[in-house]
Amino acid sequence: MTKKIPPVIELRGLTKRYGVGDAEHNALDEIDLTIEKGEFITIMGPSGCGKTTLLNILGLLDRSDDGEYLLDGKSVETLSNTRHARIRSQQIGIVFQSFNLINRLNVIENVALPLTYKGMFRTKRLIMASEILKSFHLSEREYYMPWQLSGGQMQRVAIARALVNNPSIILADEPTGNLDSKSSHIVMEELSDLHKRGNTIVMVTHNPNLTTYASRVIQMLDGKVASDTKVPPAKKETNKKKPLNIESSTPPVKDTPKKSAKNRKKKQAKK
Amino acid sequence: MTSLLIFEHIQNAYHSLRSTKMRTLLTILGVAIGVASITTILSLGGGVTKLVSNQIDNLGGNIAVVRPGMVSKSLNDFTNPTTSGIFTTSTLTEEDFRDIQAVEGVEAAAPLMVLNGSVKSTKNGTKPANSVIVATTPSLEQIAKLPIRDGQFIDTVTDQNTSVIGSQLSVDLFGTDQSIGQTFTFRGQIFTVIGVLKHMNNPINYNNVDFDHTAIISLESGKGFNQGIVQIQQINVSAKSVDQLPHVIDTANKQLLANHQDEKDFDILSGEEIAKPTSQFFKAVTAVMTVIAAISLVVGGIGIMNIMLVGVAERTREIGLRKAVGASDINIVWQFLTESLIMSLLGGILGYISGYIIALMISTALPFDPIFSWEIAAIAMSIAVGVGTVFGLYPAIRAARKDPIESLRQYH
Ligand SMILES: Nc1ncnc2c1ncn2[C@@H]1O[C@H](COP(=O)(O)OP(=O)(O)O)[C@@H](O)[C@H]1O
Ligand SMILES: [Mg+2]
Repeated sequence: MTKKIPPVIELRGLTKRYGVGDAEHNALDEIDLTIEKGEFITIMGPSGCGKTTLLNILGLLDRSDDGEYLLDGKSVETLSNTRHARIRSQQIGIVFQSFNLINRLNVIENVALPLTYKGMFRTKRLIMASEILKSFHLSEREYYMPWQLSGGQMQRVAIARALVNNPSIILADEPTGNLDSKSSHIVMEELSDLHKRGNTIVMVTHNPNLTTYASRVIQMLDGKVASDTKVPPAKKETNKKKPLNIESSTPPVKDTPKKSAKNRKKKQAKK
Repeated sequence: MTSLLIFEHIQNAYHSLRSTKMRTLLTILGVAIGVASITTILSLGGGVTKLVSNQIDNLGGNIAVVRPGMVSKSLNDFTNPTTSGIFTTSTLTEEDFRDIQAVEGVEAAAPLMVLNGSVKSTKNGTKPANSVIVATTPSLEQIAKLPIRDGQFIDTVTDQNTSVIGSQLSVDLFGTDQSIGQTFTFRGQIFTVIGVLKHMNNPINYNNVDFDHTAIISLESGKGFNQGIVQIQQINVSAKSVDQLPHVIDTANKQLLANHQDEKDFDILSGEEIAKPTSQFFKAVTAVMTVIAAISLVVGGIGIMNIMLVGVAERTREIGLRKAVGASDINIVWQFLTESLIMSLLGGILGYISGYIIALMISTALPFDPIFSWEIAAIAMSIAVGVGTVFGLYPAIRAARKDPIESLRQYH
């Protein structure tokens, strides 16, 4: 591409504070970041460094306290809640750290949910949801309820839901954190495919092996960008030829071990 | 875009209400009770109005009625002349009656002066409990089309202390409906029966007098019981023709205003207005039912609000998720408002049906039937929808205002 287009995402001095008085602390501390269309960014960093907070703000689920967030060259601060909802509906797909499936809806309805707010009719929604579930090898689980699925399956459903409305920006918070290597592979191939089709992807991960898919790796520390490395395409190419080892030899650091434990307990209780 | 979502919201509401059947049913019942009361009141009230207006139609449409007015119109509704003989100071005087009688185009006029006290048979001393004494002039027979079975109506020629009595009163007093020449006492005064009315079985009428239980005496006699002052509860006026009625009313109105120093403490009613129910019994029932309806509608509404708030709290995470995948605040408001509207509409339908069943049951003890009309259905449904909207809006707005991140953080 030769023509200069504004970056998809541009952050200038973005700051998010939590707490008041002595307890006040910057979850995000004057972050400057420019993301061009079509980049595949992985964000790494220790637990509590602000990765989720950053993704929430990028996904317009949260507002910053300071600084500027330009989406397609336009500041989002001045936009109404309704505009934000529209952008989330048309442009952004979010994969949450916890699956956030609606328990009273079955798998296909969960996946079809984002299409509702695009004003699509039910039949068409279900067809589209069914298609995307097929590419995640979940066709035979369409009418399962979320609590009848394994953790890996739930996360794949959640990712399918994030991708169903064909968003140009995909924000994923540890999408493979709960998946085995086979499931991880399916998910990463899907994301990689979306990337190749020109979508912008921002993914938080603890697994260094997954950075091989990325075009750029950002390390965060204490709410700041510690390092920002572009991965040369050549290196990517060689890496890709190696056999994939998605599951790291050491167990990945869990962001919120408490939550995961709770989830496991819940699942056991259900059985 | 939002319009397409209506099916979505309805389907959603259906599933969520179904999953909480018991509490949904109870909430619906809350609204239904209020709507049922409203429906009962309106259908029975309509029944009375229809009954009385049929009577007035039968009289020929040339009738006007003058009633004393009180401070306000609504208070007036509760203090009109009654069969129970509650004696209120009337603003209408004998002079008013004479002046109306003299108005051009008036065929006849008759005052109704309802007196307190009971009658007693001189034959065996029986005192019927629910008798009514009405002092009036001979023209009442013609205006009210009172049917005489035996004897004659009161007139100006015969002795003052004569009376025409209703057939039931005759039986109650003397054990027979053949009572011409019999005597009874009222406040120490002896009256001779000179006529007996036909049995009419028409307790609800625009005169608010059940003539089956009434002793009619002359206005002169009535005056004697009230320190010579005439206390008129109603003046019936008939015009020479239907065409002349508006003119008669207009002139009478001016005349009475002049008599009352320009104070409008009276009402001249014609046509449908006369038919407006005025019986004290009916008013009491209506008042009680209206209070029940109002209270139960508020309680029903609070029930909806309560259940909706619970539902919103239970689905906090769902709300956060829906927002995250693109739902706007308006989408969320409609999602929850649809739910409360469906509950209140179902309550409205249930209430409307049971209201009619109640009205039909009550009417078996009354001389009229409840009316069916689309207006009542429309009122019942709009009240239900109004309750659903008013009490469902706050929970729905609360749901929409939820912060998506905070909502998603919640665990259940
Ligand atoms: N709602 C909140 N209230 C107070 N502090 C918060 C809240 N959310 C996040 N934080 C804090 O902000 C920091 C960054 O959190 P987060 O973005 O979740 O980290 P990460 O995803 O990198 O593990 C942490 O120190 C966390 O305690
Ligand atoms: Mg996190």
